[in-house]
This record gives sequence, structure tokens and C-alpha cells, in this order.
Amino acid sequence: MAPTDVLNLTIREAAAQIERSALSPVELTDAMLQRITHVDKTLNAYITVCGEQAREVALAAEKMIRAGYHLGPLHGIPIAIKDNIYTRGVRTTAGSKILADFVPQEDATVTARLKRAGAVIIGKTNLHEFAWGGTTDNPHYGTCRNPWNPERFPAGSSGGSGAAVAARTCLGALGTDTGGSIRLPSSVNGIVGIRPTIGRVSNHNVVPLAWTMDTVSPMTRTVEDCVLMFEIIAGHDPLDDHSAQAPVADYRGELGRGLRGLRVGLIRDYSLSHVQPAVGQTIRAALTALESLGVEIEEIAMPSIHGNISAQLTIESCEPSTYHQEWLRTRAADYGDDVRTLLELGEMYLATHYLQAQRYRSVLRKEFLDGFKRVDVFVTPTLPFTATPCGATTVVIEDNRQEDMLSAIMQFTGVPSLAGLPALSVPVGFDAAGLPVGMQVIGRPFDEATLFRLGHAYQRATDWHTRAPRL
Amino acid sequence: MIPPEPVAPESIDRLCALAALSIPAERRRALAPMLAGLVAAANELSQKMADPRHRTVVPIVRFPER
Repeated sequence: MAPTDVLNLTIREAAAQIERSALSPVELTDAMLQRITHVDKTLNAYITVCGEQAREVALAAEKMIRAGYHLGPLHGIPIAIKDNIYTRGVRTTAGSKILADFVPQEDATVTARLKRAGAVIIGKTNLHEFAWGGTTDNPHYGTCRNPWNPERFPAGSSGGSGAAVAARTCLGALGTDTGGSIRLPSSVNGIVGIRPTIGRVSNHNVVPLAWTMDTVSPMTRTVEDCVLMFEIIAGHDPLDDHSAQAPVADYRGELGRGLRGLRVGLIRDYSLSHVQPAVGQTIRAALTALESLGVEIEEIAMPSIHGNISAQLTIESCEPSTYHQEWLRTRAADYGDDVRTLLELGEMYLATHYLQAQRYRSVLRKEFLDGFKRVDVFVTPTLPFTATPCGATTVVIEDNRQEDMLSAIMQFTGVPSLAGLPALSVPVGFDAAGLPVGMQVIGRPFDEATLFRLGHAYQRATDWHTRAPRL
Repeated sequence: MIPPEPVAPESIDRLCALAALSIPAERRRALAPMLAGLVAAANELSQKMADPRHRTVVPIVRFPER
């Protein structure tokens, strides 16, 4: 098989070939490592490339296949891991100078589960410093760039994972999502990413950002591949105090059920408001495609939705500043300027501001749970705009008005994070400049299966996810 | 949004002293207008949450499983 064909394989396709010995894990890993060498000088998606270790694991995976042992769909599959997730023996910087030399003695639970399933960890991906920001403009490890246009940002904080998957340097990646950090880069890099229900996937040995909102999950090119990774990492973990006991669904079994009769909600004066025109048109086209697959669309009012950005900023300021309190007093100069500023500001809120924001989450969640009596999922754009130039701190969404990037980026993804709900980002088209647009689908607590089902049906009916950036 | 009340750099000085947080003077000056915007938005949310409809609402820091 020619290397370019190998690069374009999905996890499901590569796994099928590996299982029947038509593709060697070593050949696949080498192709990915060569691709990293070719494109990562431009993209800067990786902080550490685990070339030698990856080849050793791939060789072991190949020997197991020859001996008749097959561990499942991730056996021999090259996967990248965001660099705030512990990897035993491989440095885990969290994109910071402060943890530049930190080499964990243990894996995160998610890393261990992927390894047990036979995955080949190919490298650690770039991120916004300590995951506190949405651009992956990292002052310590360099600016990560978007494969669809390297002058544009890959969003963040899991920007390296998003760029790495879109650029075909790995078949899937893990990211972390507090207020949108998986879904935002999934949207602007034209890939799939899910934020799980809080408690569904273990956070054990993941560097925290905001404890009450943090999650870990996969980023892939197809929904089907996302399911293959998700079913490995989902489920109770006794090492994580916030881990849920709720049973894990048969996600793969649910994929083929179709969408007839599924009810999709649009939030009045919110779901399609304050978005760039191209984003609005693309989401409307995606909704039309979903209607042709049998979904019914209903508009629902949600009176409290418009407090979301303030609540997110408050919680995402206070909780990280608590975690970083000691380092901010002893190593302040080691932070990048933007993250240092946010951490300093987080020390200056009142306790009542923080608790009112946490009370707001209860109100927002109740409005969603009421809404779920009428619809099965809610849809919004993932982002109100497409990828902005690298380094931009403001963005124009409408009326030529410059808006602060951090607030603008939180417009849609903060809502499920606050309400503790799962949300999937699926690529649904491109703007006139060829930049991807993502659609966010929000589900009931622990109902990731319906999100996967909708996303998979949409991808079977469209071909946006098959397009590749030219690098 | 309620227009932000200016935050004087001296207020930042006082907050830093209370928190035992040493921030260089030029950084403290830059923080003042940003804090003004954030606090205005947080105050507006607090005002919403003071609505009698929300009197029985408790904060969420851990979500129920069902």
C-alpha cells in the first residue's frame, strides 16, 4: 500500500487490515512518523514525538498478530496524547515551562486503558499553556498552526491534537475539554471531538484546569473512530473521586439505528444568533440534511442561557487560580503573559461571584433537563466563527465589530460544560476561504450514544469528513 | 451588560496585599480595566441569581448521575 493511502485510513479501516495481517503496525507507525517529520515543522502540533518507543510498541503489536493475538480495534493504531495527560516515562509538560522536566512515574487512567487496548502512543501534543486558553499560541513550545491554512489558529486548548489528527500524523488523539477545549479545535480543524458527561471518563493523572468542569476524550476524523476510542476509555475509575458508576452503553451497537423520529432542539435567539454569515448558512444546510434523514426540529426557549459566558469566565478563573496559587507566588515569571494575567485576575473575584456562577449552573442544567422532555438533542454551531489568524486577540463576528477572543470563543461550547452535559462537534462544511465549520450537538447526561448516532448518520450522508488539508 | 465601574490601581494593590500576591506595578495597572469588565459581568450574573425564582437554587460542584 502506498504511504498516502496508509495516511488516509480511518481507525476502523486500519484495524480491519491489521487484524487480517494486510497492514503491519510497524508500517503504519513509520508512515505516521515520516508524516510528522514532513509536516510538523510547519504545524508544531507535537511537543514530544515518541519515535523509538512507538516503533518498539508497534513491533510488539505486529509480533502479537503473527502469534494469533488480537487486542481489538486499537491494536497497533498510532494515537497522540495531549501533553497534560500523564504518560509513564515520557515527559508531560502541560505546555508549560513549570512542568518542562516533569516525567510521570504513572500513566493517566486513559493512557493506561489505551495502551492495554494495543494503541501505539506516537507523541504528546501541543496545547495552550496549562490548557488555560483557546488559541494554542504557546510561548514555550511555539505557536501551533491549522493544517487547512497555517496562517490560521488551530483553536485550543487541544490545538495540537486537532492539528495532528487533521494533518494525518496520527489516527486519533486524546484531548481535554473544560469549557470547549476538545470541541473548538475539532471544529476549526475539520474533525470530530466529543466532550463526555462529567464523570464518564476518568480524569485521574490529568493536570487539572477547573476541577468541576474538566473532562478527557477522543478526537478523530470520523464519529465511528471516536466511538472506537471512547468505548476503551469510558467507564468507572476508582482512582477518580468524580468518576461515575453509570453503566457504559453499547455505543457501536447504537450507531446503525438511523435518525427517523429523533427530535432536535434549537435554542430560541441563541442557536443561530450572533454567528458569522458563513457559519449560519453552513449550520442551516446541516439541519436540512438532518431533516432529510428523518429528524424533527423544534425551537425551544431557554431564558437563562445568556449568563453563560460570565459564569464560565468566573469558574474558569477561580478554579485554575486555586490550583496554581503556590506557583503564582514562587514562579510567576515562568508563565506566559496571557495565562499569568488570567491566573492573577482569578485571585481577585469574590467568593460570592464564584458561588453565584455555580448556582447559575444549576439553573441552566434544569432548563436543559426540561428541554430534554421535548427534544432528544440540542444543536448549535461549535464556534460562531471560522479559524482566525494566528496571534489574533479579537475577532469580527458581525457588524464589523471587534470582540474579545476569549469571550467570543466561549459563546456555544461553555453551555454544555456548565450544565455537565455531553456534546459532540462534527464537521459540516467549509467557508469561502476553505476553513472548516463544526456543528455542536448537546445531549442528555450519559447519553453520548445518541450524539454518536446522529453524527454517524450525518457522516454517512455527507463527505465533509473525507476531505484532507493540502500540506 | 452593566457598564463597568472603573477599578483603581490602588484597589488592585489592596487585593494583592490581602492575598499575599506580589505583582509588579506595571502589571497591576494593566489588570485594573480587565478586572473592571469581569467584575461587572459577574455582578450582573449575581443580580440575575438574586431573582426570587432562584431562591432555592443550590450551587453545583458535582453532578448527580441520574
